[in-house]
Amino acid sequence: MNFRKRTIGMLGIATAVLLATSACSGGLLGGGGDTGSDSGPIKIGMIVPTSGSSAPTGASMANGAKMAVDEINKAGGVLNGRMLELQIADGACDAQQAVASANKLVSSGVVISVGGYCSGATLPTLPIFNKAGVPMIIPAANSQDLVKEGLKNVFLINGTGLQQSTAALTFIKKQGYKSVALVDDNTSYSVDITTETKKQIEADGAAKVVLKTSVNAGESDYSSVVRDIMGSNADLLYWTGYYQEGGLIIDQLKKAGYTGDIMVADGSADPTLATIAGAAAEGVYATMTPTPNTIKGAEGWIADYKKAYGEDPKPYSTQSYDAVRLAAAAIKAAGNTKTDDVIAALEGIKDFKAFSGPLSFTKEHTLASGGFVILVMKDGDFQLFDDLQ
Amino acid sequence: MDQATQVIWDGLFVGSFYALIALGYSMVYGIIKLLNFAHGDIYMVGAFIGYAILTSLGGSFQSLGLFALIVVMMVSMLLTGTIGVIVEKLAYQPLRGAPRLAVLITAVGASFALEYGVAAIASPNPRGFPVRLDGDFVLVLGARVTLPQIILMLIAGVLMFALDLYIRRTSTGRAMRSISLDMKGSLLMGVNVNKVISRTFFIGSALAGAAGVMAGAYYGKIDFLMGFIIGLKAFTAAVIGGIGNIRGAMLGGLVLGLVESIGSQLVGGQWRDAFAFAVLILFLTLRPTGILGERVTERV
Repeated sequence: MNFRKRTIGMLGIATAVLLATSACSGGLLGGGGDTGSDSGPIKIGMIVPTSGSSAPTGASMANGAKMAVDEINKAGGVLNGRMLELQIADGACDAQQAVASANKLVSSGVVISVGGYCSGATLPTLPIFNKAGVPMIIPAANSQDLVKEGLKNVFLINGTGLQQSTAALTFIKKQGYKSVALVDDNTSYSVDITTETKKQIEADGAAKVVLKTSVNAGESDYSSVVRDIMGSNADLLYWTGYYQEGGLIIDQLKKAGYTGDIMVADGSADPTLATIAGAAAEGVYATMTPTPNTIKGAEGWIADYKKAYGEDPKPYSTQSYDAVRLAAAAIKAAGNTKTDDVIAALEGIKDFKAFSGPLSFTKEHTLASGGFVILVMKDGDFQLFDDLQ
Repeated sequence: MDQATQVIWDGLFVGSFYALIALGYSMVYGIIKLLNFAHGDIYMVGAFIGYAILTSLGGSFQSLGLFALIVVMMVSMLLTGTIGVIVEKLAYQPLRGAPRLAVLITAVGASFALEYGVAAIASPNPRGFPVRLDGDFVLVLGARVTLPQIILMLIAGVLMFALDLYIRRTSTGRAMRSISLDMKGSLLMGVNVNKVISRTFFIGSALAGAAGVMAGAYYGKIDFLMGFIIGLKAFTAAVIGGIGNIRGAMLGGLVLGLVESIGSQLVGGQWRDAFAFAVLILFLTLRPTGILGERVTERV
């Protein structure tokens, strides 16, 4: 018995060592430019949260990507009939888990990545994919930090914090708000937007920032921030965190008698916000990238999606769908799966037909044009309010 | 001025939640010197049981409002109490003689098992609680006070008062106190130690379950990780009050709530936890046994 225990222990250590070395070889040594062969399926990697509190979003992103892969394969694949093969790995919205998944994908030989939801979990995967020569088309994560280092392989197809702040400012001026309270949840993505919005509002001068503060995620009682907002006499609250805390803050704020307007950023632009905040969520505005429900002419696509997965597409289903199509288009244009050629092809993409409008990249590899609209919560769901055109 | 009363009221309200949960930590620690990290998750399970009962009984039962909530809270208390006893039997009792560290790890294990067990069964999506305690506020000395807040604080007060009586006046309560003084001695004097420990877990977990249902109804959102942070805070409250001391736990909960609330007012919301825990460190350096912890040291 004793002996067996020890053998198992040693086996465990041996496995751990093996795993560690294989992860290393995948992450650090296995890169070097070209990862693809010339035949067989083209492997596309996708890191999205399939566990943890963001798991529902991850699932709908994976569905969007699968749908695009199926369509492209049915139409004959790319590069003379090579099929696409989607590999989904769990990022759990957690940096460590995402790094492990990135290593796994790299060692299994993916040639392009179409995942990335939580900015905080996506950020540490950038150097791994970069060293391995894997171009990344990031469908949802949109922190400015992702493009700050100027890595050549990173492309964002969601609007960035900067673009979202511009949209927020446009709307603030249009509605004539005078005093704005900015509240974030201390995550990289969320602080990004409040900081940028504050900068832009102050530079513009039409409105004033009367409060900029952060809350800690994961709690239930937000009475202190409610006090701060009430005390600041703001006529607009702009909340840039996720919907779990957002719903609670909106509910508690309305209960305390807040009469100003509320706007949320894309992390809270989810119908779950209304499940949590109840009636208090009615009339809440959101800065959001266009979703299937707010895009004219997407009805057919929505029907196909519903037929395949038995539920409505969520925010980012479309972006994930577009990310895969964009990847396929770039590989087609490059004529092979070599890193440099695919990156050059992505940089050369012009007015690609995406859900969010014609898509081209800036020098920083972010969207060249807008991509944010204003939604409003009505009867428990977000609807298009103003396309800011 | 009115801001000041608001700060104090907000602090006391949150503090009464901390106090209810802190009791479970303190009781268990007082008796078997175990930090039961699964305790915060029992609170979460309580909220989910409440959610399940309310959803399955449907709209006509839900329309009974407060009455429905109190019934559901009682059922949820029975069930979470039982779950607490099961956790103790499975994860702690077999390790009664083991090093303290081993039990601590099984406690962390039990915590994760509960969290991800619920996530697997109920899906990781946050849920909106089917019955909400809504009410308009009235201004009392400048503070916004709502009826649900008063009701919930009353319920918490009644539960804590009953517990205090139970521990001071009943024979089981006496047995609990004697075990916390000297477990072996109590065993020799004919106290059924295992039974009393089970009962301790039952009561502590039932209180956490009650707090879970109350939080669900007041805040309106439940998710499988909701017990984590409040568990840590309640543990802190128990230490502030003097861990092992029942009245200390109640006091500690209120003090922590107040310190957080005042701290966020003084130094800004994002500094609240940093401030609250800096105060905690300072306080414990000056008074390591907590506010009411002196009697514990005398006992030892």
